[in-house]
Amino acid sequence: MTNDFSQGAGVRPGRHSAHGRNDAAQSASQLSASLPALDVDDIPQNIGMPVITFDHVSKFYPAQPNKAALNDISLQIYAGEFVFLVGHSGSGKTTFIRMLIREIQPSSGHLYVADEDLSTMRNWRVPYLRRNIGCVFQDFKLLPNKTVFENVAFALEVIGKSRHVIRTQVPEVLRLVGLQDKLNKRPDQLSGGEQQRVSIARAIVNRPPLLICDEPTGNLDPQTSRGIMDLLERINRTGTTVVVATHDREMVDNMRRRVIALDRGSLTRDQDRGVYGFDV
Amino acid sequence: MSSFIYFLRESLRGFTRNLSTTLGSIVTIFLSLLIIGIFLIGGIIVDNVMSGVENEVSITAFISDDAAEEDVASLQSYLESIPDVKTVTFVTKEQALENFRSTSNSDIIDTLDGQNPLPASFEIELSDPQLVTDVANNIAGNELFKKICDDPENPPESLKYGQQTVERLFTLVNYIRYIGIALIALLIFIALVFINNTIRLAILARRKEIAIMRLVGASNNFIRGPFLMEGALHALIGAALAIGVLEALHMFVLPVLQQQLLFLNFNIGAATFVYIYLILTGSGLVIGLIGSALAMRRYLKV
Repeated sequence: MTNDFSQGAGVRPGRHSAHGRNDAAQSASQLSASLPALDVDDIPQNIGMPVITFDHVSKFYPAQPNKAALNDISLQIYAGEFVFLVGHSGSGKTTFIRMLIREIQPSSGHLYVADEDLSTMRNWRVPYLRRNIGCVFQDFKLLPNKTVFENVAFALEVIGKSRHVIRTQVPEVLRLVGLQDKLNKRPDQLSGGEQQRVSIARAIVNRPPLLICDEPTGNLDPQTSRGIMDLLERINRTGTTVVVATHDREMVDNMRRRVIALDRGSLTRDQDRGVYGFDV
Repeated sequence: MSSFIYFLRESLRGFTRNLSTTLGSIVTIFLSLLIIGIFLIGGIIVDNVMSGVENEVSITAFISDDAAEEDVASLQSYLESIPDVKTVTFVTKEQALENFRSTSNSDIIDTLDGQNPLPASFEIELSDPQLVTDVANNIAGNELFKKICDDPENPPESLKYGQQTVERLFTLVNYIRYIGIALIALLIFIALVFINNTIRLAILARRKEIAIMRLVGASNNFIRGPFLMEGALHALIGAALAIGVLEALHMFVLPVLQQQLLFLNFNIGAATFVYIYLILTGSGLVIGLIGSALAMRRYLKV
């Protein structure tokens, strides 16, 4: 397997480098520009087909049996889309995302990811689902005993990539998120923003067709946030479906992508080229 | 194969990553196996002593002075044909007197005026001394024995094996054995519970790690591999330490004890020691692997 990340650098020159941003954001966005177009084979065949289908999905947590965390959600997200999931704290964004990776299951209704019904999926099939979904967790979920390098490498080790592939791809993707100097640090030696970027690097290192981010910029300064968003947009342009749950009003308003708004578990708005829309 | 190398590398790294829990579980396994080993060896020594006591038990069958030689010979071959009989030795009148002379006051023999009142006899040793009563009854019922025994009126009187004493002795020996086995079983159980608990705690401390591995798409076998191998390595190291200490006891302490307590039998064959070491290593491995697998099970359901 060739080194995809560096190979792409020559194909697409950094279009963001002209913007006068501070160094951190600039390096991140420059590097995001080096993300190549995927090989043709890597583009999901069902482009334009629904990747995610919520069919009257509701979720009740045992602790609050009378209050739906998600209430009768029906929607579809298509291959290649970039979707913002917005809403106040407790509106159900994280529940939405945890269901997509089958960390939890719907109380009623059906949820399909890539034509597979997650509510009937067998337990042993779940790892294969998750390998095709990159997920950036709100609380990062980094392995505390492993270094930054080992954390990112783990996502490749579980799909059986060779040591050689790991040694070349992991530093590349860490440079992409601006952490090339922290390879041997452990998560507890990093700031919140740095841990978040490790989490992003781990989610994208095996180039999944679906990327889900729960508050990917929640702990980052505005410049670094913009760098991360550029990176996500860049990844989306390669054909990856991207779902981003966020509170970042500025980001959503600037990017004008599809916005799905949740309020106390119910779907209140689903518009193309939408805005954040909630009063702060 | 490549994932086997990955498992091995990960489990070796686990040693430095979780040094305190690693040392904790190795020491627990080491001490538990050492205690099991010491009690197994102690049990074997007690059993040796008990067997020594039991082997003192034999049957003496007294033969009449005017028994025909061919009858004596055919009785001997009959006795030798009894399944539980180990050896049969014929003691002539002269030998009996000689034995008596060497163990008793020779003044008594002088008063006999050259007469020999002692009968000839068969010394019968048994392969399983606990069966002494059965064998004695068998001999007492034999027609040939009834014919040539020292007291034809009452054949069982010609058989001496200390009936009541032997029964009491065997009851005591058996009790000591049962108590020993129960003690060893209890200790093994306690040791296994200790090891199991240590493993559970070590895995509990890493349950978040397991959940994260699940969430980034690792299959259960891939997560289990390094944990199981780590458990096996801990068990092997603990067993090696325990075996080292037991071997030191075997080489340096047992000979000293034997010199001090000459009447006890501390001779344990090298093969027995190998068996004990195999048992320790095996049980350490089994509890290490099964304990890890069971403790992990509930965290692998995410």
